[in-house]
Amino acid sequence: MNRHIRLTLLLAAALGIMSILQSCMKWDYGDTDEEFAIPPRGLFITNEGNYQYGNATLSFYDPESTTVENGIFFRANGYKLGDVGQSMTIHDGKGWIVVNNSHVIFSINTTTLKEVGRIENFTAARYIHFVNNRKAYVTQLWDNRIFIIDPTTYTITGYITVPGMEAGTGSTEQMVQDGKYVYCNCWSYQNRIIKIDTETDRVVDDLTVGIQPVSIALDRYGKLWALTDGGYAGSPYGYEAPTICRIDIATFTIEQRYTMQLGEAPSKLQLNGAGDTLYWINGGIWRMPVTSTSLPAEPFIPSRQTIYYGLTISPETGDVYIADAIDYQQQGIVYRYSPTGTLLDQFYVGIIPGAFCWKE
Amino acid sequence: MTRSKSIILLLAASSGILPFQETTAHAQHQLREVVVTAQRPMKEIGVQKTTLDSAMLKENIALSMADVLTFNSSIFVKSYGRATLSTVAFRGTSPSHTQMTWNGMRINNPMLGMTDFSTIPSYFIDRATLLHGTSSVTETGGGLGGLVRLATTPDVPEGFGAQYVQGIGSFSTFDEFARFTYGNDHWQVSTRAVYSSSPNDYKYTNHDKKLNIYDDNHNIIAQFHPKERNHSGAYKDLHVLQEVYYNTLRGDRFGINAWYIHSNRELPLLTTDYGDASSFENRQREQTFRGVLSWDHTRSNWRTGVKGGYAHTWLAYDYRRELSETVWATMTRSRSTVNTVYAQAEGEYTPSRQWYFTGNVSAHQHLVKSADKDVILQDGSKDIVGYDKGRVEISASASAKWQPDERIGMSVVLREDIYGNKCAPVIPAFFIDGLLSRQGNVMLKASISRNYRFPTLNDLYFLPGGNPDLKNEHGFSYDCGATFSTGIDGVFTLDGGVTWFDSHINDWIIWLPTTKGFFSPRNMKKVHAYGIEAKANMGVQIAKNWLLELNGSFSWTPSVNDGDKMSDADMSVGKQLPYVPRRSASLTGRLSWGTWSFLYKWAHYSQRFTMSSNEDTITGHLPPYYMSNIALEKGLSLRRLDLSLKLAVNNLFNEDYLSVLSRPMPGINFEFFISITPKFL
Repeated sequence: MNRHIRLTLLLAAALGIMSILQSCMKWDYGDTDEEFAIPPRGLFITNEGNYQYGNATLSFYDPESTTVENGIFFRANGYKLGDVGQSMTIHDGKGWIVVNNSHVIFSINTTTLKEVGRIENFTAARYIHFVNNRKAYVTQLWDNRIFIIDPTTYTITGYITVPGMEAGTGSTEQMVQDGKYVYCNCWSYQNRIIKIDTETDRVVDDLTVGIQPVSIALDRYGKLWALTDGGYAGSPYGYEAPTICRIDIATFTIEQRYTMQLGEAPSKLQLNGAGDTLYWINGGIWRMPVTSTSLPAEPFIPSRQTIYYGLTISPETGDVYIADAIDYQQQGIVYRYSPTGTLLDQFYVGIIPGAFCWKE
Repeated sequence: MTRSKSIILLLAASSGILPFQETTAHAQHQLREVVVTAQRPMKEIGVQKTTLDSAMLKENIALSMADVLTFNSSIFVKSYGRATLSTVAFRGTSPSHTQMTWNGMRINNPMLGMTDFSTIPSYFIDRATLLHGTSSVTETGGGLGGLVRLATTPDVPEGFGAQYVQGIGSFSTFDEFARFTYGNDHWQVSTRAVYSSSPNDYKYTNHDKKLNIYDDNHNIIAQFHPKERNHSGAYKDLHVLQEVYYNTLRGDRFGINAWYIHSNRELPLLTTDYGDASSFENRQREQTFRGVLSWDHTRSNWRTGVKGGYAHTWLAYDYRRELSETVWATMTRSRSTVNTVYAQAEGEYTPSRQWYFTGNVSAHQHLVKSADKDVILQDGSKDIVGYDKGRVEISASASAKWQPDERIGMSVVLREDIYGNKCAPVIPAFFIDGLLSRQGNVMLKASISRNYRFPTLNDLYFLPGGNPDLKNEHGFSYDCGATFSTGIDGVFTLDGGVTWFDSHINDWIIWLPTTKGFFSPRNMKKVHAYGIEAKANMGVQIAKNWLLELNGSFSWTPSVNDGDKMSDADMSVGKQLPYVPRRSASLTGRLSWGTWSFLYKWAHYSQRFTMSSNEDTITGHLPPYYMSNIALEKGLSLRRLDLSLKLAVNNLFNEDYLSVLSRPMPGINFEFFISITPKFL
């Protein structure tokens, strides 16, 4: 065999090897466009997903049929929900999903799940609260402004600058409304609840409640409840025992403070549908009538090697839904308990189920 | 054959071991004889290692060590994008289980434990060795996966030498490299610098988003996946390396190595980010200096060496948001300073042909200041969230190696690690190898060890979340395998090996979210990692001045969560760890003819799960990865200088892919290099 033939064969062999080694990456982008008809009542679950993975998802649970659908935003729209699905609120037949680290809020039809609009370029949106059909507030992490949006035009129309808070390190969190005032807890390295006049879009008052008020709720008697997590050991901002505060909304003063143990990490203060019983996570699930004068001695549902991360109470039945993130790297699970503490159902959802939204 | 006789094997091709001044301009591509004696180096008894040769390291100036390892080894390189964080993991372990040394000094970030291999230009490394699993104990503790040992060498040619290389590539990428050398019998001096920059704004189709088209009433009438650019991915990296060696020619060598890094990199937006790229800044800056002084004293049957070093790293991360035109708010202003003082003494003694003893003690004193955030306190004053800690890390080892016969060798290593005021139990390791057959130089090797890894300073002290109660990760592993090498003079060379490994790691540290909104580390997992590593290298002299070289590697690495269920609902037990491929492989083929050289590189990772429960969903896994790169080089020998022209093509088949969820990668891209090497009289 002469040299030229040998070289030709060699080159042919090399090209052959290259073509064998080269298998195209079969990337499944799952460009689906599934049709949904979500029942009129049920529970949406926003699954945060892992920070910076862009794997937040949306689930829906039908308590009637005890069926769950996962990944429904993607399945209905053909693209991902984004990075860190923070919360969801339903207003005027539309579901508004706040996707924190994607700097976006999607608006979806709550039956078909198709997107109907979006608002972009938030700093790090946390929660959305509708003042009326033409105005909503969006709280932020790492910003001293609450964004004002027009949900009809999907635009940011203005800002409420929170006094005593710096741009970049600010934090505003959950909101409840009583009359023309919206109350909002300021959480990360903060200690206040602010009072916003929705007519002027200005902060008109604030109340210091303790280190890092993480969630708030408004009961049937018009009392505002705030749960502080107390910060963490070594924090320059301070570290103290977590508390639950009952605030008289008329005078905007603390009526009673319920103090927990230093080192405990309570979260997710919730009310039942009647607004007369508080629930929260602190290892296990705890509950307390809003008329109680002291904290309960035992949890309502003890922890059982679980890391409870989300909590909601059915406004209709009083069933208790608890999300367990397990190891935060797999599908979380939601446990459904009766108001008496009997396990009724359990179902897997997405990664890190953190927030719930009732469709009713 | 007697012990003193040598087995002549043909192991390396000339192009693979050329000093840097020699290029393909006048290369003679023929197999070269390398002498390998049956009495192998006692230092390497039973050691499982992979050596990256000069051709791999000096392929082109744009490559980082992450790129080189991707295509020239079977260890897993997890890359977050082009010129973005790239970590390396051996044998199904995590990046923090990979130790790395540079000229003897451990350079893992003491805060994070891991190393970003994308920040190490391969042109700055003269010798790179991977010590797999147990074999890392011979050099350092804590390498539960293995050790990457990087070194520079005093090998410079006589007289003055210089080389300048420029690369111009896609996405306005510019790479510059210059090296100046001087060498004589006593002195070897080398200065090298590399500067790389690019806006790095490659286009890609964003499959994770859709853009909406609206009618006048703001109804969505159509949607499409946009073609986007890699926003906020620019980088500018400068490296300067100065080396001076003095050889007394009476058994003493003194050396100075000083490496300065200035890096300014943006961190690209995720594919799921809807923020206006011009409204956010996400930037990481680094300035690092590493310096090592060394003295080696060599006598006929003993050697001693002393090293001292200092490393300083200033690391800044800024995440900023534009509030209004020209007004920016800083959301994260992280500043970390690491000062490390290093000292090491080592000795070797060979009392007879059968025995070889070594001793080594090293100390790293780390002083770390980590400032993560400015906050307004309750009294209205300001303070910083962070920590200021120091830790002395002492590692001492002693080994005895015994080769009673040329066919068999055994080695025992005992290592003790002391971090701060905590001592790990003594780390024992045992190695054995044996020559099974002189024909084919077939060697059997085996080793076994325990190992421990201390938590990093961030694991212990980071605010918020650091956990001072963490325990050491600890592991037990063994491996066994066979190697061979053979060849026919002037026709072909062939060598390779296959290894079985098995390791158990307990108290694996992972960071998990807390209900307080931050992450915190815990000793969580028990992992069983096992599998096979195989490699083979071949050189064929096809015809006169035609040379074909092939290097291949393969790993099969099940790495399984072997712990208890966290709760009844936990589906992760018995599953492969996230982002650890079960299989990985690489192949490089180089065809050289006269002054031409063609290189083909291929790398493969099997699917990687992103969830601990190994879900086969859209975001639950990444499909198998295949990547092909090629390069064509032509050398020109002119009267006053040698020129080398090279065209490199990356992502040859223009794959549209992600390497990590939400991190876009570039399609086909090109870079042209010109290398100029003056001929000094």
